[in-house]
Amino acid sequence: MSNLVVETTGREVPVAKAGEWVDAENGWIDRRIFWQDDIYALELERIFARCWIFVAHDSQLPEIGDFLTSTIGQDAVIVSRGEDGKIHTFLNSCSHRGNRVCFAEVGKARRFTCNFHGWSYGLDGSLKSVSRPQSYDGNANFDKAQLGLHPARVESYKGMHFACFDPAAPSLEEYLGDFRWYLDVILDNDEGGIEFIDGNIKSRLKCNWKFPAENFVGDSYHAPWTHSSALIAMFGKQPTMRPERSYHANVNGHGWEFGLDFIGNAATLNSPQIIEYLREQEAKFAERLGKVRSRMVGALSSANVFPNLSFLAGHNTFRTWNPKGPSETELHTWVFLNANAPQELKDEYRRGVMLTFSPAGIFEMDDGENFENCTSVNAGVVTRRQKLHAGMGLDSQIDHDELKGNVYQSQINEANQRAFYLRWADLMGAETWADVPVR
Amino acid sequence: MNQSDQIASCDNPAVPIVLLLEIQQFLYREARLLDGEQYDEWLELLADDIHYWVPGVQARYRKDDAKFSVGRMAFFDDNLEYLKIRVARAKQPSAWAEDPPTRHFHLVGNIEVEKTENPAEWTVHSLILSNRHRTEDDEMEIKARRVDLVRRDQDGSLKLARRKVILQQTVLQSKNINTFL
Ligand code: FES
Ligand SMILES: [Fe+2]
Repeated sequence: MSNLVVETTGREVPVAKAGEWVDAENGWIDRRIFWQDDIYALELERIFARCWIFVAHDSQLPEIGDFLTSTIGQDAVIVSRGEDGKIHTFLNSCSHRGNRVCFAEVGKARRFTCNFHGWSYGLDGSLKSVSRPQSYDGNANFDKAQLGLHPARVESYKGMHFACFDPAAPSLEEYLGDFRWYLDVILDNDEGGIEFIDGNIKSRLKCNWKFPAENFVGDSYHAPWTHSSALIAMFGKQPTMRPERSYHANVNGHGWEFGLDFIGNAATLNSPQIIEYLREQEAKFAERLGKVRSRMVGALSSANVFPNLSFLAGHNTFRTWNPKGPSETELHTWVFLNANAPQELKDEYRRGVMLTFSPAGIFEMDDGENFENCTSVNAGVVTRRQKLHAGMGLDSQIDHDELKGNVYQSQINEANQRAFYLRWADLMGAETWADVPVR
Repeated sequence: MNQSDQIASCDNPAVPIVLLLEIQQFLYREARLLDGEQYDEWLELLADDIHYWVPGVQARYRKDDAKFSVGRMAFFDDNLEYLKIRVARAKQPSAWAEDPPTRHFHLVGNIEVEKTENPAEWTVHSLILSNRHRTEDDEMEIKARRVDLVRRDQDGSLKLARRKVILQQTVLQSKNINTFL
C-alpha cells in the first residue's frame, strides 16, 4: 500500500455555514453548535487537531523520563521529557494494532512498551524494539524509523508547553500573539516564574466544552448571581465590580476579563498569608509588569486561551476542558504558585482552590449545574432553533494607551465571548490555516 | 508507610460488641444527617481538630509512587473552619442549584472497628456509597473506602476526629460533590 493521505474533512457538514452559526457582530449564537454530532466531529478536526493545546507545565516533568498522559481533542497523547531534555508529545496508540500504550496518568519511564505484542517506544515516541524481531527479517516495509508513535509539534511559552498536530499551523508565538503580554501577568510577575503543585483533579461534566470555555473567557456577569451563595458564605456580601476600572481584552480568540482591584480573586482563598504575600510583592510586580498589569495579578478576573485552557489569576488555577463528545467534557484542574513564593503558601493555594474552584469547591459546584443544563436542553429540536443572545457591550470597544489587543470597557461584558465564538467560526469555516484571519 | 499499613501491623484484639454497635450507629446516624442536609447537626459530630481529607486518586504504575499522597491535589483537605464555610454556602437560600434539593443517599457498609494506642480512640474502616439524584434523570454515584478515627469525647459522646476517603474513581464521574462522604 502506498502512503495514501485520507482526507478526513470531506463530510456533509455545512462548512460554508460556519459563519452563520455565529453572528459575532450582532451577538447571536446558534445552539446547534452545542449539540450536533456532525458539528462536534468537525470541531475535533478543525479546532483540536489544528490549534495549540496546552499539555504540561515544565515543573510537572522536571527529569528525563517523567511523563503524563493527556488528550488533544479526543486523541490520547503521552507527554514526556526525552533523553534530549525536551518535552515530546505523541499519540498514545501503538503503530502495530493501535492498542493504548501507556495506562498511567503520570509517572517515570525509560520506555513505553505495548502490552499486546511488545513493541517498545522511546521517550520521544520513536520505535526502539519489537518482540521476536527476526519475524520481520527481510521484510522491506518494516522500517522502524517510520513506525514511531505519531508526534505533535511542541512549543512553549514561559514554561507552558503546548502541542499541535497541524504542521501548517502558525508558531505558538504567532498563535498567542499579544496575548503573551497578558499571560506574563501570571507567568512572569516574578523572576522565578511559576510552578505547578503536584496532582491534577479530574472530573466529568455532561456539557459541551464551549460553555465552560466561554464562561472563563469573559463571563464575570454570572459571578455575583450564580455564586451568590458562596460569596455571602465567605464575605456576607457581593464583590464590587467597577465598570470604569475593569475590562475585556482579547487577541485571536484568547480573552481575559479583569478588574484592576489587585486581590479580588485571591481574597476568596480564605488565606491571610496569600494576601500578605501579594501585598508585599506589589511594588515588585509593578516594577516588572508596569502599574496596570501589576494590578491584575490577583484581581477579580477569568481568562481562556483558545480553545480550552482556562485560568484564574489570584486563585492560581489552570484548567483544561477536554471534549469527550458534544455533551461531555473532562475537566482537569491544577494549582500553581510563584516558584519563589514561600513554600508554606503551597498548602494555602492548594487548599484555597479546593475550597473554591474544584468540583467540591463552593464556587465551582454551581457552575457545573449551569453548563450541563445549557447543553442538555438542546435535545429539543424547537429549543435548538432559538438563537442565544450574546449581545452585551456591543459598543464598548475602546482605545487604551497601555492594554494590548482588542480592549473593551467594563468586565461585565460579552465582547470576549463574541471573540471566542468568532475565532471558533473562523477555524470551522477555514480549509487551511491560510484562511484563518489574525484577530 | 500509610496509616492503614500501621493499623494492620499492630495487635488488635476484637473490640466489645456493644462498642461496635455504638460506633456503627454513630456512622449510620451521620449518614442520615447528611441525607437530610442537617449540616449543623453533622458538624456537632466532628471533633474540633477534625481533619477531613479526600485526596485525588491517580492511576500510577505499581512500581511508582503512591496513588495518593499528602500535599498533592485533593477534593477536600479540610479542618473545621473550612468545613464550616462549605456548610455556610450550602445553607444560603441563594444556593440556586440546591432548590429543588438534591436527593441524597449515603449507604455505609463493611464497618470494622480496631483499637488504637489511645483507649478513647478507634480506627474505623468502612465503605461508603453516595448516590445523588437531581431533576428527572440526573444521577451521580460516588463509591469510596473510608478510614476514620473515632474518639470518645469528655462528655461521653463519640466524635469524628479524622476521616480519609479514598475514591474509587480517578476521574470523578460527576459535575460536583455537593455533599460530604
Ligand atoms: S498492538 Fe502494540 S504491539 Fe501489537
Ligand atoms: Fe462560575
